[in-house]
Amino acid sequence: MLRLEDYKILFIIASLIGTLLFASPSLALVIHLPGEEAFSEIWVLGSNRTTEDYPFNVKTGEVYKIFIGVANHMGSSSYYIIKAKFRNQTDPLPDSTVGAPSSLSELYKYHVILQNGEEWETQLTFSFSNISKVENRCVVGTLKINDVTLIVNKPASWNINYTGYYYQLLFELWIYNAETEAVQFHDRYCTIRLNMTLSSIS
Amino acid sequence: MKMLFFASFVCLFLLLSLTTVCMATSENEAAAKVSEAENAVNSTYEAVQGAEKAGANVTGLLSVLNETVGLLSEAEIAYKNGDLDGAIGKADQCVTVANGILNDALTLKSSASENAQMIFWSTLVYSSLGAGAFAIGLVLVWGWFSRRYIKKMLEMKPEVA
Repeated sequence: MLRLEDYKILFIIASLIGTLLFASPSLALVIHLPGEEAFSEIWVLGSNRTTEDYPFNVKTGEVYKIFIGVANHMGSSSYYIIKAKFRNQTDPLPDSTVGAPSSLSELYKYHVILQNGEEWETQLTFSFSNISKVENRCVVGTLKINDVTLIVNKPASWNINYTGYYYQLLFELWIYNAETEAVQFHDRYCTIRLNMTLSSIS
Repeated sequence: MKMLFFASFVCLFLLLSLTTVCMATSENEAAAKVSEAENAVNSTYEAVQGAEKAGANVTGLLSVLNETVGLLSEAEIAYKNGDLDGAIGKADQCVTVANGILNDALTLKSSASENAQMIFWSTLVYSSLGAGAFAIGLVLVWGWFSRRYIKKMLEMKPEVA
């Protein structure tokens, strides 16, 4: 048979457990445990909505199709802006070490607001025209993204190593920061590499 | 004849200048409208996010807000394409819809904040009362148990081994 002191300890333990159980709803309102890691995703898919069939060898006049997608895992709703830019091999990419976007100006923008856990994907079509060649330089005059025709006049030098005139379509993910009341670069981007084929150049 | 020619030239010059000024004003107006639409969307998004943080269900508002940012995108595309009237029209639509959502979001935030406060205080009061009642009950039980234990011990006959 247990002694009275042992029963006293049991009652104290039971009272502590019971008090904690009754107080747990209040504690849950006051104590905020750290949540999951917050992040966003951006992706580019090929014409069949897979990670294959990306356009690479491109030529004037032909329309190419890709899919751009964004997913929100920030823990609450987020306002995203996807900025499409066009670069050659010498233009700056976004700097991931300092979280700075590319200094190129955007050619096209998507605005989308997503709830936590929500995904968004859309088709983007692009084509090139007014392409010219001067010695070992190619100049893309016009880029059309969806229904918008943009004058880019983007030169590219002949790449000896990879034998081609290389460009990239760059998609940067920006997010609206309610604290600063401004849109800021979300340190995420993706690109597709394009080779302007010789047959397209006049 | 010379006077007529000079007068025609002056009229043409004035007409061209007026057209240029009108176009510049129209482009500035379109740019300002698109910027206004952008600000309206930003403010509305902040309000909706505030309502969401207060615990309101903002699924419906976000759905309408997404249509609004679609209008903003269309306004920007129209502006890039040189369709200034189209840009102004879409931007005005965007501002109107955004302001409507803004009022709804602020109302929703206010009621969600009140509900959240009421839930907070009622939870605090009930759980405190519950914890207190449990502790008091346990003390009473302990008092009864200890008396019974002592009484039982006193009634026991000692055994000599």
